[in-house]
Amino acid sequence: MAYEKKHAEHAHAAHAHGEEHFREKHLMLDPLPRGQMNDMVMESMMEKPTWKFWVVIAILSAIVAYGLVYSWAKMIAEGLGIAGVNRPAYWGIFLVNTVFWIGISHAGTFISAILRVFKAEFRRPFTRAAELMTTFGLVQAGFSIFMHMGRVWLSYWLMPYPNQRMLWPNLHSPLTWDLLAITTYLLSSTMYLFLPLIPDLAMARDRSTGWRKNFYKILALGFRGTEGEWTHLRNAMNIFAFAIIPVMFSVHTIVSWDFAAATRPGWSSTIFGPYFVVGALHSGMGAVIVVLAVIRATMKHMKYFIRAEHFDAIGKLMLIISMAWAYFFFNDYMVQWYGGDKWTKQLLHFHEAGPMGWMWFAMLIFNIVIPWAILWNPKWRSTPWLVSIVGILINVGMWFERYIIIPVSLTINRMPFTWRLYKPGVEIPLGLGTLAFFILLYMIASKLIPLIPVWEVQEGQMAHELKKFGRETVVTVSELE
Amino acid sequence: MTESNVVDLLAVFPDLEPAANAIEHLRSIGVHDDCMNVISGIPVTEAMLGRPSQWTNVPRIAMGGAALGFGAGFFLAYITPYLYPYPIQLSTQSFIPGPPTVVVLFELTMLGMLLSTFLGVFLDSFFPNYRPMKYVPEVSDGKIAILVECPHVEEKKVTDALKKMGAESVNPAEAQHL
Repeated sequence: MAYEKKHAEHAHAAHAHGEEHFREKHLMLDPLPRGQMNDMVMESMMEKPTWKFWVVIAILSAIVAYGLVYSWAKMIAEGLGIAGVNRPAYWGIFLVNTVFWIGISHAGTFISAILRVFKAEFRRPFTRAAELMTTFGLVQAGFSIFMHMGRVWLSYWLMPYPNQRMLWPNLHSPLTWDLLAITTYLLSSTMYLFLPLIPDLAMARDRSTGWRKNFYKILALGFRGTEGEWTHLRNAMNIFAFAIIPVMFSVHTIVSWDFAAATRPGWSSTIFGPYFVVGALHSGMGAVIVVLAVIRATMKHMKYFIRAEHFDAIGKLMLIISMAWAYFFFNDYMVQWYGGDKWTKQLLHFHEAGPMGWMWFAMLIFNIVIPWAILWNPKWRSTPWLVSIVGILINVGMWFERYIIIPVSLTINRMPFTWRLYKPGVEIPLGLGTLAFFILLYMIASKLIPLIPVWEVQEGQMAHELKKFGRETVVTVSELE
Repeated sequence: MTESNVVDLLAVFPDLEPAANAIEHLRSIGVHDDCMNVISGIPVTEAMLGRPSQWTNVPRIAMGGAALGFGAGFFLAYITPYLYPYPIQLSTQSFIPGPPTVVVLFELTMLGMLLSTFLGVFLDSFFPNYRPMKYVPEVSDGKIAILVECPHVEEKKVTDALKKMGAESVNPAEAQHL
């Protein structure tokens, strides 16, 4: 009898310990009162910035002022000649950056829309952090295209309206597809960022004073949370979640067609569409994990919302995407290599053994070797600093990939007398300017916008519970929608 | 009922369960569903509260926007090439090429649909609305509020019913600036 009692006590203690373990591990099983979570998010946002914050803001502002404002003004004044683009590489870092930033922007939609559609619960605390990346990344992509345009003040010529010569832009040209696709994606992702933000803005409105109160009041649009408002919002978010996925795929596919539609060695490939999409997800997921690690380390209370389980989940996705990227890379390489075209063979040899060969090998190491070596291990991929280093390296690797595809591949063509390696000029400060501007926008947004969608977290916590099956305690999720 | 004959009561409940019970009870004492509105900080479905389905025009507006977007794409892809004073025909190339037209139609259809979905939320929810409204900020802290419209003569009966069902507070609702 005494043994049975002791055994029962032991089992109860083990169960309680098991529940505690689950709570520590899973945000969804560790609910706090809604008011407390609201307070935590508001405190993280309204916390007085430290001197380090202002130093970083000052450095980024200086880079933006020099890289984006001064250098761009100089290029406008002196012409595109001060950039490195010239025969045969007419496309340089501007387009490398365009593709890179569009790639970064894919993470938000992937995390928010695809994971929402598939009801992946781990997404809940960081959908907004990823969606912000989409919008801010697309702004940089837009800047990069305008830089490439040179005479940027004539960009309105791309707009479909009849001018005095009764000429319309040729909407059947791949470059006009870019205009349509990027505009559609930028507008859609901004609206998709804003819709789920409305309830959190209302929450911030209810808990703030002064200029912030007015700021949130304007942005919250008078949202109260009535049944009707939630119904309209839920319907709209569902439509967006499904519809924005093909838009996301179309954007990077169309970007890839800018290259693949040309009959150039190295570019003419039917697999470029999905290869670019997977590449975009690769860099986007890498960037998300870096952003999450920084938010978690620098913002108050974020360790409650962003936990090791989230790094683990994103780490798994990164590993799968890395494998998919390797598959598409090899597929593209294999077919071009086997084709035996003289110029393509020259180009492939140039990639590996030419002056930029180091970049080609670094690309493979950063995009495949390092992610595979680290992300297979659950403990390593749950370690924020380690997995964020992998994220940074993936982004460097993906930038190298775009550099190899664009200016390096343009070096080798069917006219050997034009071969010349691209050397960037003003593109470097301009590119750094976009990077600094992206970080600057994000830092400012982190002080103005609730980065954690509290209502989504609470909704998830309501849906999760622990259930015993025989001797085992497992996490169960109810479908509330 | 005229305006002066009715009163709006705002009852705050700590949780979903008592709020759902209160709705059921209100219905049983003769308060019609149209006279109730639930305000919450998370999307609580009608089924959870035992409420009739809410009507929304958002999907219809979205479809309308998709049709408009498709129309705009059709105009740009099919019509504008004919609007040139001297239409440009290149050798044997088709004047209106098919596959590129699909791209234009797709992008503009999606743009039309998503823009109108966004607009639909504004139209259906009457956003932006900065007039004074009946609201309690506790809602954003996880409480559930029920806004009940009832005749003056029944105010006490409804108030008692709401309190009996677990309301933390029941007060006449006053419109205020949010």
